[in-house]
Amino acid sequence: MTTTSLAPAATHEFAASIVGPEHANLLGLRCSAAPADAQQAAELLRFADEHGLAVGVEGAGSKLGWINTGRTDLRVLTHRMSTMREHTWQDMTCTVEAGCSWQAMQTALAEHGQHVALDPLWPQRATVGGVAAANDSGALRLRYGGLRDLVIGMTLVLADGTIARSGGKVVKNVAGYDLPKLLCGSFGTLALITEITFRLHSIARQTASLTVTAATAGPLGKLLLLLLDSAFSIQSMQLRTDAAGCALDIRVAAQPEVLSNQQDGVASMAESMGLVAQASNAQVWAAREQLFAPFAFVFKATMLPTEIASAVQTIHELGGNAVVQAVGILTGSLPGLSSPHRLAGLRARLEAAGGSLTVLQTPSESDFDRWGTPPGSLPLMRAVKQQFDPHRILNPGRFLGKI
Amino acid sequence: MDNSMHTLEPVMLPATVLAELEAAVGNGGLIVEPSQLQTYECDGLTAIRTVPSAVVLPLSTAQVQAVVRVCARHEIPFVARGAGTGLSGGAMPARGGIVISFARMTQILNVDLPNQRMTVQPGVINNHLTARVAPFGYFYAPDPSSQSVCTIGGNVAENAGGAHCLKYGFTTTHVLGLEIVLPTGELMRIGAPSCDAPGYDLTGVFVGSEGTLGVATEVTLRIVKKPEAVQVLLAAFDSITGAAQTVSDIIANAILPAAMEIMDRLSIQSAEAAVHPNYPVCDALLLIELDGRSAEVGLQMEQVRQMCRNNGAWEDRLAQTERERMLVWKGRKAAFAAAGRLAPNYIVQDGVIPRTKLPDVLKRIGEMSEAVGLRVTNVFHAGDGNLHPIVLYDASIPGQEQIAVDLSLRILRVCVDLGGSITGEHGVGREKQEFMRYMYAEPDLDTMQRVRHAFDPHNISNPDKLFPRPRLCGEKTGPYTPHPLETAGVAEYF
Repeated sequence: MTTTSLAPAATHEFAASIVGPEHANLLGLRCSAAPADAQQAAELLRFADEHGLAVGVEGAGSKLGWINTGRTDLRVLTHRMSTMREHTWQDMTCTVEAGCSWQAMQTALAEHGQHVALDPLWPQRATVGGVAAANDSGALRLRYGGLRDLVIGMTLVLADGTIARSGGKVVKNVAGYDLPKLLCGSFGTLALITEITFRLHSIARQTASLTVTAATAGPLGKLLLLLLDSAFSIQSMQLRTDAAGCALDIRVAAQPEVLSNQQDGVASMAESMGLVAQASNAQVWAAREQLFAPFAFVFKATMLPTEIASAVQTIHELGGNAVVQAVGILTGSLPGLSSPHRLAGLRARLEAAGGSLTVLQTPSESDFDRWGTPPGSLPLMRAVKQQFDPHRILNPGRFLGKI
Repeated sequence: MDNSMHTLEPVMLPATVLAELEAAVGNGGLIVEPSQLQTYECDGLTAIRTVPSAVVLPLSTAQVQAVVRVCARHEIPFVARGAGTGLSGGAMPARGGIVISFARMTQILNVDLPNQRMTVQPGVINNHLTARVAPFGYFYAPDPSSQSVCTIGGNVAENAGGAHCLKYGFTTTHVLGLEIVLPTGELMRIGAPSCDAPGYDLTGVFVGSEGTLGVATEVTLRIVKKPEAVQVLLAAFDSITGAAQTVSDIIANAILPAAMEIMDRLSIQSAEAAVHPNYPVCDALLLIELDGRSAEVGLQMEQVRQMCRNNGAWEDRLAQTERERMLVWKGRKAAFAAAGRLAPNYIVQDGVIPRTKLPDVLKRIGEMSEAVGLRVTNVFHAGDGNLHPIVLYDASIPGQEQIAVDLSLRILRVCVDLGGSITGEHGVGREKQEFMRYMYAEPDLDTMQRVRHAFDPHNISNPDKLFPRPRLCGEKTGPYTPHPLETAGVAEYF
């Protein structure tokens, strides 16, 4: 990992000369700077690279706890890069700067009945760049895929100040490597994302949500698999557990003329299993945000759909809460006083079946490993990191395998 | 042999190296006979050919790894090959290099219906995936026109598309994980059967890397539930503008068809002559497939038909039976091969433009075509702006081939100038590597090279592809020249 002998005041002085004194701050040993564009960001990173400064990139800072803590000499803040550059609604694409809030982007797109079909956490606060760097996604993923399916282009600033563009502004494009996929979920360890081009979808004109409840996850897991195997136009589906029991939420999107017919079909399928479907509470699709209580231990787990029910049941029995998307991405929480080591068995089970369990939020210092068993491809990930950031200035040591 | 062809003869490998390769793949797994090697000298881009120094036909991942280790030890370039249907020279060997053919790794290893996944060897033919899961109501969505012969390994390398990618996404959408042999000879699993494996999305960057990052030996794929109902509409227009406007109207009305294709008059005629799909003869034929729940598809199709009529369609005909639907698609998928009926030679291009630029770009193609006196026929995936202009010419007329090549490349420039791409699904390969400079700046390409160096530090995995390089003296690109096997009736062009 890189080290620096540069005085923080010198860093601050340089940063202020690039971004303007009003956009550079020095707080203790840490300097922060908010570049106005990719060129300014490139100047900052080039300086950091030359002087061995550890750089952390921040949008709204809503997901900083999702990676290891570590030294940061220079915080590069993206909030001044917040413009919607282009919304070519006829072509259903948009290009937006990384510091734009997710909701601001969606509000602009909604003027033409479109959206980036992804429902991340805290859309009011979270920035486009932060959502991409953390690879967050919500229940819409079942219908529309994740960020890897929705991002079609990116502008990046590498650690040495290189500004590079990858992908483009058309949905179909196989010219060169798909670098945006590599950057989604890289937590700022490969490059600073300054601009993203998304493919867009029309906002569904009519949807209806149903919730099926049960004391245990088992029957709901079976219903979930049956619905995945069905031809209903299901837009989102999630299995939840909290102290009250378990619930399966199903959102159907269809033409208004046939929506009720689809709802009836889903309800009938539930009834055939002895379960009852009712209209959902309006808040169910924001349930994931409730897991991030201030003193909760919060984690993400990935699994095959057939593993969902047993994982949820395990968490329920541990006294925890969970929301799991039907594609097999779970967000769970344990009360703050619980030892995260109680999740070791679940982690081992998931990893054995090709899944994972990683930590998103810890109320206090813990020796519970954040990332779990490193994948066999870790050496290749390290090689990629070495090529992009040879001096290891971008979030050094804070990612999987201490990358 | 056609004089216009550019063929490089094989470079002999030392006997000791050949012995190592034979030890890696066993008896019957190594080809060194010159006449047999010639089969592997090119893919669907037949104008550039290099006879490999050897071809290996491994039976297992372990054998692939052993072969790559030999290559790494001696720094011998290699290229993986499926069915060789690629159209950009991606599977063409490097001079002095070997071909790793996956013709003997064709097993479907696992089908997991509840989780909607299957794991296969790279030599499995695209169509066979769907055939395996169709009885259970599933299909594998990406459907390149060559799907009856192309392999999943090649699809992964090229990030293959197809007409139905408009709704269902490209190969990259459907690949969850891979077992790969790195160019260093290391065996590695990237991605996972579940979504969002922690760490970098190496699978995302490997898919579509055109064989330059290593060799896939196992592929875990997503399969998709077959829709309850499918309807296909043929709408005939007197102008491309009306057809293009209909495409925009459909999208603007929040309808996402499974596919939307446009064919022009020339391509309709050639398809008709080739496979008799009974298309209406018109200036622009719009082919729309809707799928989903029966009631919803019926409802949406009525809206679509009305939009067609509003934009001047004088016929909107619904394919009534499964056989009629298959015939409609057969005609569309035969479009490239059928171009051979229009002219002795042709060049297929693969540009992409923002969908709304379609009338503009077609007007410009028409003007350029008229200016040089060559006909260009057009078929395109209209929903996602992927054009396949086919430049028709006669290579026996002195100078005409070069005019055709220049025209096809100028069309790509127009696509880039309008904010599009030089390739939507055929890949860069050898064909368009110089055009990468037109689409990307040096820092963009240098950044991609960083990925390449991480995977392949010695540049032996399908070298001299995808990235620009100095053009060799006398080398040319693009025109289609019949392969001897095709002339002999042994192989077909897709």
